[in-house]
Amino acid sequence: MRKKIIIACFATLAFTSCQDKFLSVTPETSLSSDTFFKTQADFQQAVNAAYAPLRTIFNDRAWKLGELHSDNSYYARNKLFGAVDATENIADFAIPTANGVTANDNVLQQWRQDYLIIARTNQILSLIDKVDFDPTIKSNLKGQALFLRAFAYFELARYFGSVPLHLTPVTVRQEAALPLSKVEDIYAQIEKDSKEASTSLLAKPKQEAGRVTSGTAKMLLANLYIVQKKWAEAGTLLSDIVKSGEYSLMPNYDDAFSGTSANKNNAESVFEVQYLEGSAGYNGNLIYQMIPAPITAAELFAITGTSNPQSISGENNNIPTPDIIAAYETGDKRKDVSIAYVTLSQSLRTDKKYPYIKKFARPHSQQGNTGQNFPVYRYAEVLLFLAESLNEQGKPAEAIPYLNMVRTRAGLAATTASAQADLREAIFKERRVELAFENKRWFDIIRTDRITEIIGAYGARVKANPTAYYFPDGSVPPPNAFTVLGKYYGYPAVESALTPNF
Amino acid sequence: MFTSLIMSTAVYANPAHTENFRIKTNVDNPSTLDRTVRGKITDESGDKLPGVSVVLKGTTTGTVTDTDGAYSLNTPDQGGTLIFSSVGYLSQEINVGGRTTIDIKLAADSKALSEVVVVGYGSQLKKEITGAVQTIKADEIRDMPVSQVTQKLQGKLAGVQINQTTGKPGQGMSIRIRGQLSVSAGSDPLYVIDGFPITGSIGNMNPDEIEDITILKDAASTSLYGSRAANGVVLITTKKSTNGKTNISLNAYVGTQNVPQRGLVKMLNAEEFAQFKKEYYEDQNQPVPTEFQDPSSYRGKNNDWYGALLRRAPLQSYNLTVTTNTEKSSTSVVAGVFNQQGVVLNNAYRRYSLRINNEYRVSKKVSLGFNIAPSYIFDNTPKSDGDRGTGILFNALHTWPVMPIRDASGNLTTYNTFPGSTGNIFNYPNWVRAANELVNETKKTGFLGNAYAAYSPIKGLTFKASFNTEFLAQKFYYFNPSTATYRINVPIPTTASSIRQNLQNFSWLNENTVTYNKQLGEHAFEILAGATLQKFRQEVLTVSADTYPDDRVSTPQSAINISRGNGTSSGVDQFTLSSYLSRLTYNFKGKYLFTAAIRADGSSRFGADNRWGTFPSASVGWVVSDEEFLKSVKQVSFAKIRSSYGVIGNNNIGNYTQYALVNNTVNSVFGSTVSAGAAITSLANRNLGWEKTKQFDLGLDLGLFNDRITFVYDYYTKRTSNLLYSVQIAQEAGFGNFNDNIGDIKFWGNEFSLTTRNTVGQIKWTTNANISINRNKVLALADGIDRVYGSVNITKVGQPFGQFYGLIKDGYYSSAEELKGPVVPGRSAIGVIRYKDINGDGVITNGGDQDDRTIIGNPFPKFTYGITNNVSYKNFDLSVTGSGSQGNQLYVTHLYSTANLDAVFNMVAGVKDRFRVKNNAAGVATTVITKGAGKFGASNNGGNFTGLERDWASTQFLANASYFTIKNVTLGYNIGKSNKVFKSARLYASVQQLYVFTKYWGGPNPETSGQGDGNGDGGNLSQGRDFSNYPVPRTWTVGINLNF
Repeated sequence: MRKKIIIACFATLAFTSCQDKFLSVTPETSLSSDTFFKTQADFQQAVNAAYAPLRTIFNDRAWKLGELHSDNSYYARNKLFGAVDATENIADFAIPTANGVTANDNVLQQWRQDYLIIARTNQILSLIDKVDFDPTIKSNLKGQALFLRAFAYFELARYFGSVPLHLTPVTVRQEAALPLSKVEDIYAQIEKDSKEASTSLLAKPKQEAGRVTSGTAKMLLANLYIVQKKWAEAGTLLSDIVKSGEYSLMPNYDDAFSGTSANKNNAESVFEVQYLEGSAGYNGNLIYQMIPAPITAAELFAITGTSNPQSISGENNNIPTPDIIAAYETGDKRKDVSIAYVTLSQSLRTDKKYPYIKKFARPHSQQGNTGQNFPVYRYAEVLLFLAESLNEQGKPAEAIPYLNMVRTRAGLAATTASAQADLREAIFKERRVELAFENKRWFDIIRTDRITEIIGAYGARVKANPTAYYFPDGSVPPPNAFTVLGKYYGYPAVESALTPNF
Repeated sequence: MFTSLIMSTAVYANPAHTENFRIKTNVDNPSTLDRTVRGKITDESGDKLPGVSVVLKGTTTGTVTDTDGAYSLNTPDQGGTLIFSSVGYLSQEINVGGRTTIDIKLAADSKALSEVVVVGYGSQLKKEITGAVQTIKADEIRDMPVSQVTQKLQGKLAGVQINQTTGKPGQGMSIRIRGQLSVSAGSDPLYVIDGFPITGSIGNMNPDEIEDITILKDAASTSLYGSRAANGVVLITTKKSTNGKTNISLNAYVGTQNVPQRGLVKMLNAEEFAQFKKEYYEDQNQPVPTEFQDPSSYRGKNNDWYGALLRRAPLQSYNLTVTTNTEKSSTSVVAGVFNQQGVVLNNAYRRYSLRINNEYRVSKKVSLGFNIAPSYIFDNTPKSDGDRGTGILFNALHTWPVMPIRDASGNLTTYNTFPGSTGNIFNYPNWVRAANELVNETKKTGFLGNAYAAYSPIKGLTFKASFNTEFLAQKFYYFNPSTATYRINVPIPTTASSIRQNLQNFSWLNENTVTYNKQLGEHAFEILAGATLQKFRQEVLTVSADTYPDDRVSTPQSAINISRGNGTSSGVDQFTLSSYLSRLTYNFKGKYLFTAAIRADGSSRFGADNRWGTFPSASVGWVVSDEEFLKSVKQVSFAKIRSSYGVIGNNNIGNYTQYALVNNTVNSVFGSTVSAGAAITSLANRNLGWEKTKQFDLGLDLGLFNDRITFVYDYYTKRTSNLLYSVQIAQEAGFGNFNDNIGDIKFWGNEFSLTTRNTVGQIKWTTNANISINRNKVLALADGIDRVYGSVNITKVGQPFGQFYGLIKDGYYSSAEELKGPVVPGRSAIGVIRYKDINGDGVITNGGDQDDRTIIGNPFPKFTYGITNNVSYKNFDLSVTGSGSQGNQLYVTHLYSTANLDAVFNMVAGVKDRFRVKNNAAGVATTVITKGAGKFGASNNGGNFTGLERDWASTQFLANASYFTIKNVTLGYNIGKSNKVFKSARLYASVQQLYVFTKYWGGPNPETSGQGDGNGDGGNLSQGRDFSNYPVPRTWTVGINLNF
């Protein structure tokens, strides 16, 4: 056929219809927008792609912005190594920020990945109703898109406050940059989307494992209400989740977390970001960004058990602070599940011993290639949120049993708190250890307005005793450490250069 | 009878009479030829002149005189006019009338103007050309021992900047005509081989196949190539057979290459390095590691890692050329073997090439031609080039010289692990192993084919159809065994990995043209019209695999992982182009000249709503010297003023940029299942078009004192608009870029070429010199965007393109008092680099639009120049060619590591004379030991303080890259006249890259540029970076030309 066209073209060189055929060359190795979004399968694939940025967010950024930027973890300074300033700055609360803008790359990447989810879901949501297919499937797909959009905006709103609100796909250059929307407007959209998602989505027993469910959407909405201090609304949703019977605590805290291939999306899991070990490219490598370094192959092997352990130089991050270690009550089973120690023969510290996050260091087979899922929402947090919302509604007695469910599994006695204020503090502390290293700490600090109190004191401790915070002898935090204590991150400078709006 | 006019072999036999003149065979028009005219051509002193071309005016019928100066040519019964021309002589036009014998005396001196020059879709008398073109003949660039023809052109062309960005054989030539550049649409000119616009480069073409090269510079000359012409056009004509005889010539040379010591970066030796380390710890009041307590113990135990990768390497080249010509057919064959070992270990480049050009004159009206040129190239290149840990030359520079290359028993070490306590955080593999053990080879099988038929029903009218094909099959094979790696800080044994890539390109072009020329009294016309169709298709398959149980078997199936997520892919790329073209050439009395041309291109690359582009041009010329008032001025032998204006395009915008592509590999995992995912990954722009350049040219061609002095001057100005630019957009859109046509760049410049024949007696001495001054200025970018950042560059409205952008170094803080001035919060300290507070806000910031960065340098030269001297005396001839560039700077990327005062890398020797300051007990740098030479700061406190000097782009990294290089010196000797074995013989010795005069301190090659090896992040937006590429070797050769 193609040959005929060409021959015809030679014969009738002047005729435009023939020219048009000859000159229309479409890509063979990828689809183009003209031909996509036509079928159920297209939307199914588009929804799958909307999940993909979560892998990057939770492997590379969320732990920096949500955990390292708190008193739960710090970095293990290797003074010979100066190449990770951007991450150190986050841990040091010293992110250079001017006019509300920062050049910190982690902030930039988080921003971009969240908006990638938003763009992909906008694309789906703007077109899905125009295509006719099975309404149950469509509803479930829409629910996932709505959830993912709401989730991305929820991250953005908590990291940055006011952000541009994109709800329709961008098609030309001039539409790319929008003005900042007020945080209330962002919250309103999150509320709308997650509400709709909670009714559109399938419940956990019916949903494919690993996808978001109606329970996940309710949890997201409840989380929003808690941030907004709408305690009653949150309480209702959280009770629904508990009553649904779709979730339960794993008997053993260690089993709440997925292994590299086993125990994924277990009974306690409300939502996990999914990874797959192997060469297909869907793996994570979280622990390799957190394991203290410089570490030898043999020292690493003891932790990862891979067949090809290789040394890691430089320095690493997300090292549990003495503060979080001290926060565990005596007898708390969660401590040894969450934290273990490694001795680095090449460390410049006198005491060459470092803690590391054990609950994310599951044995796997190849260096740098892990399949462990990352927990976004667990049933334990549903219980703690429920306890918190009840307590804040002035019902501490109703709240206590939920708190104690979490404590009991941890091998701890029932809480001694009974008054609302005491219980509030007890729940806050419980969240810290139960959800340690799950990127909850910074959000808990800001939603309770305790930055100065908690981070201020933490900073003073680090400066007073740098060696306790993993500095080699004679090394100290930079002079500007703990000077940037804002509730929000600065807007990414690279994006600022591309928009007139910030 | 038609005789293609060429006599390349005679070039060698008679260097004084270099008559490789030919007529482009694109437009053939044999007509009825019934009478034979014979004659003898002599010079004014009566010596016979071989190689003079004799052409029947208005046709391409012609011949060349033999060694006795004799010719015979069939002419029409009705007579006609014969044009006799030869390089170095004034051409003459003689009306045949009824004669059958015409003897001519040619007057010397009319050097250049009687030549016929190949132009787009035809040829023209040089005298009558109205555009800006320059032709280089093969004999002007003979005997240069280089693999690529572009290397031979360095220094020869006005307005054309040619840089050798890497010394890798067969690679890295950057050619830029009249400073043309684009944000992202490519700056390479269009290469046209025997009328066929090829899709690739000419880097792998055997230079010996080339007869001449014509560079088309202005819009009038290039507009017939329409949407591909904006970067200029390079027309290459390959060798065709010459006169009636069979000629066999052999050209062979052998030689050796080495890297001159001059310009190599001077690094610390082992003892100096140990001394630095010792001081590093002492300055910080810290215990000195055992390894560095006695630096003198390293005396004489230096490990020169860079030097260890270099070697003296041979090269050789053999070319056999056979040409024959009979009444009915002519054939030329060039067979070549080129074999170059690189000066970097394990680098090999071999080329086997063949070209066969055939023409058959079927009847008086019909001729057919078939040209084929197969080639095979083998190339194994160590991973030599690349910055920041990706090129072994770069890596070798900063590897600790205390680390042994070989162990005590003389074997190469594998992996150098100095203890972590010595500050060794980037453990070093052995780069010699990397060079020797990694496989990085490319095998290219190429084929160019061309068939044409010409039919000339009546005099002056010719129809021609041609079909051209270009084929390339390329196999790339990369294997990294477990025993070596080219990357820094990768432990050995490493994970063995491989890449196999098969690429296939196929392109065809059909061209159909009709030409009619007519002389009406004093009016001469030529009209050309044509239609063409071209199609290109590329298919690529890449398989990446890793984790091999055994290094001896590297096939993909032996690997444990086929690396799907990372480099296993296949792709198809296509474009089509359909065009119409037309040209009218008119002159009155041969002195008032006019040409108008137009081409319309329809391209699959352009947006569906913007499919066709039209590219017109017009030019005029006035041969002033033919006017009476100048004829009396004897000093002026020739003068022509010419001017042109036209519109041309650049379609190097990628094949599918108009489409929004759906990437269907954005998969997700649910549980343990991978679910297919698809996302739109780019935005569509159905209006996307080509870049448009409007160009004006004003030129003067001048011959003085019987052409003892010839001078060519051109002024041009051009404006490129609708730049294809992948505009960065706010990524809140979900996309990073939008492909759009935006912006305006203005280019302007002056070009001067001067040829003087200084002496013409027994000693003949000719000098060619040229100088080019090119400028550009960005007039507009997108609405709302007035600057775009490259890696260390900025492209800003109102400024020249791609200026270096960074902080201005202002010495070092040397006292607590000075630290009260503008500082980098938390990082400035005594001994730390100080920058100027450009925005005056009291703090030093780097990043964003309101920081302290400013334009700090210019990657573009103020001017470039070249000079060639040719001297001959009796049987000896000497040629010296130099080329230079003045006023440009390079950004010395390796300082990022080699002046990294953390002392984790080896450093440039200059750091010995650095700022030194001693820490107090609290770890704060307080007591100045020495302020040093002011070039490098203190090494205290690791990355937090020293990182500023390393990480922030500043004037610290800029170096003046002006240079003048003696590119080639060739001395030849002609062994008398014919004997029984050969007709003529010539021996020569040649040196390539003899010496570089420069103050550039960043490395051995001031011509380098980050874009040469594809390592420039950001393309043209990131101009002028030195990535420590492969040094350009100096080559010494001896050779022989034999004609049988």
